[in-house]
Amino acid sequence: MMDKRPYRCALVSDFNLQNFAGYVANDPEFPGIKPISAPFGQPAAALINRDLPCWQNSPDAAVIWTQPQAVVPAFKALLNYEQVPLQKVLQQVDEYCALLVNMSARVKFAVVPSWVLPSYRSVFGVIDMQTEIGLTNTLMRMNLRLAENLEKAANIYVLNTQHWIAQAGVQAFSPKLWYLGKIPFGNEVFKAAVWDIKAALRGMLGYSRKLIIVDLDDTLWGGIVGDAGWENLVLGGHHHIGEAYADFQQALKSMQNRGILLAIVSKNEEQIALEAIKKHPEMVLKLEDFAGWRINWQDKVQNIIDLMTELNLGPQAVVFIDDNPVERARVKESLPEVLVPDWPEDPLYYPATLLSLRCFEMPSLSREDLTRTTMYLSENKRRELKKTVSSLEEWLARLSIRVQVEELHPANLPRATQLLNKTNQMNLSTRRMSEAELMAWAEQDPHRLWTLRVSDKFGDAGLTGIISLEIQDRSAQIVDFILSCRVLGRKIEETMLATAIHHALSLGIENVYAQYIPTAKNKPCLDFFKSLAPRFQQQGDCFVRDGQQPFPVPEYIKIGPAPEAG
Amino acid sequence: MPMHAKITQMLFSVIDELNQLRPPDEHLAKDLETPIAGDSGRLDSAGLINLIAVTEQKAAAELGRPLLLTDDRTLSQVNQVFRTLGTLADYIHLRLSEKNDG
Repeated sequence: MMDKRPYRCALVSDFNLQNFAGYVANDPEFPGIKPISAPFGQPAAALINRDLPCWQNSPDAAVIWTQPQAVVPAFKALLNYEQVPLQKVLQQVDEYCALLVNMSARVKFAVVPSWVLPSYRSVFGVIDMQTEIGLTNTLMRMNLRLAENLEKAANIYVLNTQHWIAQAGVQAFSPKLWYLGKIPFGNEVFKAAVWDIKAALRGMLGYSRKLIIVDLDDTLWGGIVGDAGWENLVLGGHHHIGEAYADFQQALKSMQNRGILLAIVSKNEEQIALEAIKKHPEMVLKLEDFAGWRINWQDKVQNIIDLMTELNLGPQAVVFIDDNPVERARVKESLPEVLVPDWPEDPLYYPATLLSLRCFEMPSLSREDLTRTTMYLSENKRRELKKTVSSLEEWLARLSIRVQVEELHPANLPRATQLLNKTNQMNLSTRRMSEAELMAWAEQDPHRLWTLRVSDKFGDAGLTGIISLEIQDRSAQIVDFILSCRVLGRKIEETMLATAIHHALSLGIENVYAQYIPTAKNKPCLDFFKSLAPRFQQQGDCFVRDGQQPFPVPEYIKIGPAPEAG
Repeated sequence: MPMHAKITQMLFSVIDELNQLRPPDEHLAKDLETPIAGDSGRLDSAGLINLIAVTEQKAAAELGRPLLLTDDRTLSQVNQVFRTLGTLADYIHLRLSEKNDG
């Protein structure tokens, strides 16, 4: 369930951001945003002054949008074609970045649009790209420095303003709005910015889409494979439409390389369709690129539901692409949370339409993201093994599960934060925090936090568990108990508890307790703790245990480095 | 379509643009009686700036005619010109007619 409250967003700028504030406040797309503007004109002072209303009551986010000459005085001199060493310009960029990093502790996320020059400023164009004297050359270096500096701050994201300028076209810069209201950009720029910033926020909040389900005939290739045969499909070759289908597949492949799962739902004979995928020489996508498929004559809605169940994903994680408007309308109506983009009739626009979707934003890219399809394919092998054994215990024993327990550190922080913010079902308290907030919390004295990486003979599921403790006098509270649904039911839950209780034992803690905070989705966590009785005693939504009683690691689990995947 | 009707249609599309900046309960009605500036006006100074900039843009794009609303002649009678959507339509019609005459 999406959080319906408006996200409070501080706006800081050297120019008048009122129009941006108007668009962002009234845009109906999730998340709702309530802008709180700092007085415009003095961005550096606004970043420093914590007492301004925009910084009160912990705003969720901040947008810091400046013109380069307003925050880098050396660049202002360059605009007048004065001689300024590049080193001096970059030093001032560093100083500005230090202000941004300081400010970032006040918000969960900060967005910094990159710097641009008005496109009408084309005088001296021939030397514009020359080092030291070319304005565009210098501005590109400044933006690069800005991005590199701010990459080190876990919750600041630099967005590409040039993209918004290109979308706005000739109306991007408005001398009229500048002289009348100190607004440098035309409104089309602000609209594009709202679209982009909201997409980025959705990604930061864990609402990015993770699965693309595609149809086959006239979607992944041209033609009806059941009628024409795989040899006669329009795909690749020296044909403009065939080339577009191949490019569409390449675009899907590129999405998969960034951790987006691919799946097929198609009304076809399965054998014929799979033969086409395996045999057509111009197929960019191979069978192993798909995490699952439902190729049959059943209702596509039911097939999508089955696939979501198999892949353990909800409808809000899914994009459905189909050339047939009737199928799209049916899915839209039955599964309103699935994103069903309007799809062009002309295949030449397929690749561009896919690549312009703004629903796949992710604030960082973890190893787990990059190997997600492999993980799902491994999961299929586990399921197959399960069918051949007589008991859960035998299955767990034959999986050869290993768990690596680590404390939180900069290298596992992005994935741990991602897990914290995305996990709904096996989540005791459903805390949502930025990377900076999570690290700061874990570093506080009474807190301990461990991450768990899980692997077995079929592969590495990656960092899939988090457990944390808060020590208060002689008792320890389990604050976070988070496990990815990818590894639920394999005794990793008990392994997490064993880890925390082992630590509590070493500190002489008298009791360990877990306070369950209910949400619409975390009942599986409650059920798990209830199932632990009598090892934990239930007192309402609180589960308590004697801290001096050992809690063994389940016998099927080995704590240690990952085995070779088989 | 007569020029005055074209101007009205163009101004309604300006209102659509401006309403995107305003909460739904503060949307401006697409009606020639809608008050804009002055004592009973619905727009603050920032709103008026947007109205002027968007109207000039749309006049060029939709009527194919350049229009200047920030000259001394307009700004010296701002409360009359921008009193309602209708007075603005009349004024634009007048200015474009003068250009034709010239």
